[in-house]
Amino acid sequence: MPAARLIDDVSSTSSAAEHMVADEALLDAIATGAPPALRVYTWCRPALSLGRFQSGSDVDRAACSRHGVEVVRRPSGGRALLHGADVTYAIALTRPPEPVLATYRLLARALVAGLARLDVNAVVTEHRERAGAACFGALAGADLRVGERKLCGSAQVRRGTAVLQHGAILLRRLAFDESDLVVGTERGELRAGTVTLEELGARHEPGAVATALVEGFATALDLDFTSRAPLPLVSSGRSLRG
Amino acid sequence: MESPDDLRYSEQHEWIRVESGRATVGITDYAQDALGDVVYVQLPAVGSVLARGERVCEVESTKSVSDIYAPISGAVAEVNDQLVDGPERLNTDPYGDGWIFTIDVPDGNELDELMRADAYRRFVEQ
Repeated sequence: MPAARLIDDVSSTSSAAEHMVADEALLDAIATGAPPALRVYTWCRPALSLGRFQSGSDVDRAACSRHGVEVVRRPSGGRALLHGADVTYAIALTRPPEPVLATYRLLARALVAGLARLDVNAVVTEHRERAGAACFGALAGADLRVGERKLCGSAQVRRGTAVLQHGAILLRRLAFDESDLVVGTERGELRAGTVTLEELGARHEPGAVATALVEGFATALDLDFTSRAPLPLVSSGRSLRG
Repeated sequence: MESPDDLRYSEQHEWIRVESGRATVGITDYAQDALGDVVYVQLPAVGSVLARGERVCEVESTKSVSDIYAPISGAVAEVNDQLVDGPERLNTDPYGDGWIFTIDVPDGNELDELMRADAYRRFVEQ
């Protein structure tokens, strides 16, 4: 079972921009021969992350300011995602030879396994809806849903021999959502098309969700996050396993 | 997967066609199929000088951002502006309308280090 790094930033006080720098560092480390790495984290303040090439005009900057939302650009693709009531994961590993969608599906298996530990029966989306400006406004291939409602959205960046995938699992609702911040996003559609762990009656404390995700990745990808071997650190995070 | 005999290929799945000292570059049929539906192409700046293997630009497909690399060294001479409004050309016509940029080629020797079509076919089958 290959050794892998685990970075627990569930209690992080990092800014949104610092989170993106930390995720990108995981990707860059793979290119230098580092082992696979998984980071799990939360956002201490609400933040709206935009896809690498998403137009800035999709965002209502005044509304973001009113709600105290930091806007940050991800290195990955995809659309706007509101953080603040989610657990975010970021996994970096050597790029599998399979196509992009197959990599999503491989990693989706880990997420499904993790959510099963919370008694959540998530399934991998096989179809694609027309994309809007908000990540949770549509289901894309390999997103996770419960019924027809999206619970987890993910995006990737592939650089050289490495791939980084990060994504968010909705824990609960904030008092506002993407429809308040992202142009052309309808609250009714967003609410009807998404679901949170709280709404599913599942455990939704960040620590419990993060632990379940780590176990899911360890099982599905056959990774050993308990190794005592000296591994390069990319964050000041602590180990989930003490 | 199609890989025309008159092109050279890189291990990063770019193709190159050289005519009169100018090389046209795109991504292969294998690459476009692996990427899925391309929704955005970030074109390089005309005039930028590239070293072989250097990251030139990025494409987005399936919520994934992937790099495109320079298969040979040289200066970017032209970019395919039609990809701005029609990035799907990379999927529908990777060896034609889906070309990405051209390079003025000062040194033809690097071409010899790229794969011919039969070698590329074996490479992707591995």
